[in-house]
Amino acid sequence: MMRGFVITVLALLTGLFCSSVTYLPVIGDPYSVPNQHITPVYIAQSELDTGSPNIVTGTLADYRGFDTMWETTVMFLSGLTTTLILTSSTMGRRPEKEDEYE
Amino acid sequence: MQIYTVEAALLVFLILITACIIYCQDILSCVMIYSAFSFCAVLLYLMMGSPDVAFTEVVVGTVSTIFYVIALKKIDRWCK
Amino acid sequence: MKEPFGGYLLNIAFRLLVPFTVVYSVYVLILGESSPGGGFQAGVVLSFGIVLGRLIMGEDCKLFNIKTKNTLVIAGVGTFIYSLAGWLTLFGGGKFLDYSFLPFAAEHANELHALGILMIETGVTICVMMTILNIMDAVVKRSDDDGSAE
Repeated sequence: MMRGFVITVLALLTGLFCSSVTYLPVIGDPYSVPNQHITPVYIAQSELDTGSPNIVTGTLADYRGFDTMWETTVMFLSGLTTTLILTSSTMGRRPEKEDEYE
Repeated sequence: MQIYTVEAALLVFLILITACIIYCQDILSCVMIYSAFSFCAVLLYLMMGSPDVAFTEVVVGTVSTIFYVIALKKIDRWCK
Repeated sequence: MKEPFGGYLLNIAFRLLVPFTVVYSVYVLILGESSPGGGFQAGVVLSFGIVLGRLIMGEDCKLFNIKTKNTLVIAGVGTFIYSLAGWLTLFGGGKFLDYSFLPFAAEHANELHALGILMIETGVTICVMMTILNIMDAVVKRSDDDGSAE
């Protein structure tokens, strides 16, 4: 019963995804909606505004510099959290060898 | 027209690799097949014209493979 | 690591390989403004040498023998260099991260933009490199303390 229900839901979701794929724009279509909003402005103005011939770097480091700053902070926090969790906690470790004889 | 053929072949190969990762029994083989997944993703990104993302994917795929192998060595579970 | 992966072939390959990765990472960092690349990729490629050294030679590796506490501090310094670029533009009289107002002498605003982009990418490089060393140290040190490696 449960298995049939799961299979039905998965089939419905697969049908929904497959039918909605046809509404996506073609890759590299210059007339699609997200390519007409702000992309022409970036392509035209990026080299004048940022002085960088690479549009990706100009967008990432200059137009969206504040965004990239907090990305770097998130990366630093991930390393800090990994170190704190893995090195200071004794939870989930295998028991010490002295404890086995007690 | 032919570039779309290669791209479609890469996408199908990507799905096959994912199925292999799920159904493979050996953990080290899973890690190696995962690096093949990363390589196919790199080729797809290059075909879509974004070398920046492809470079990041190369680097992240290599580092994650190294970390997985370290973790596998540490838990003493090379196979099954 | 207490049980390194090493061997004769791997040691020789490590010595041949690592200088090229360091040179390549500096190339990626400096040319990241005008070609594919940037701070993130340069940091990871720069950390490859140290990660490979610790994998292959274990605790005998004297290449860049830095402790976990210091890697945490230096990762924070990398993040601080990024925000320092923003504060310098504030002191120069502009908005936050507006590189035209960096308080350095330059003939044209584009040079200041290039200088600011290089500065923030240096910060990202340091932070990413030290974060990868952090995570690797955490995993290796936990399992070495564990006694699970037998």
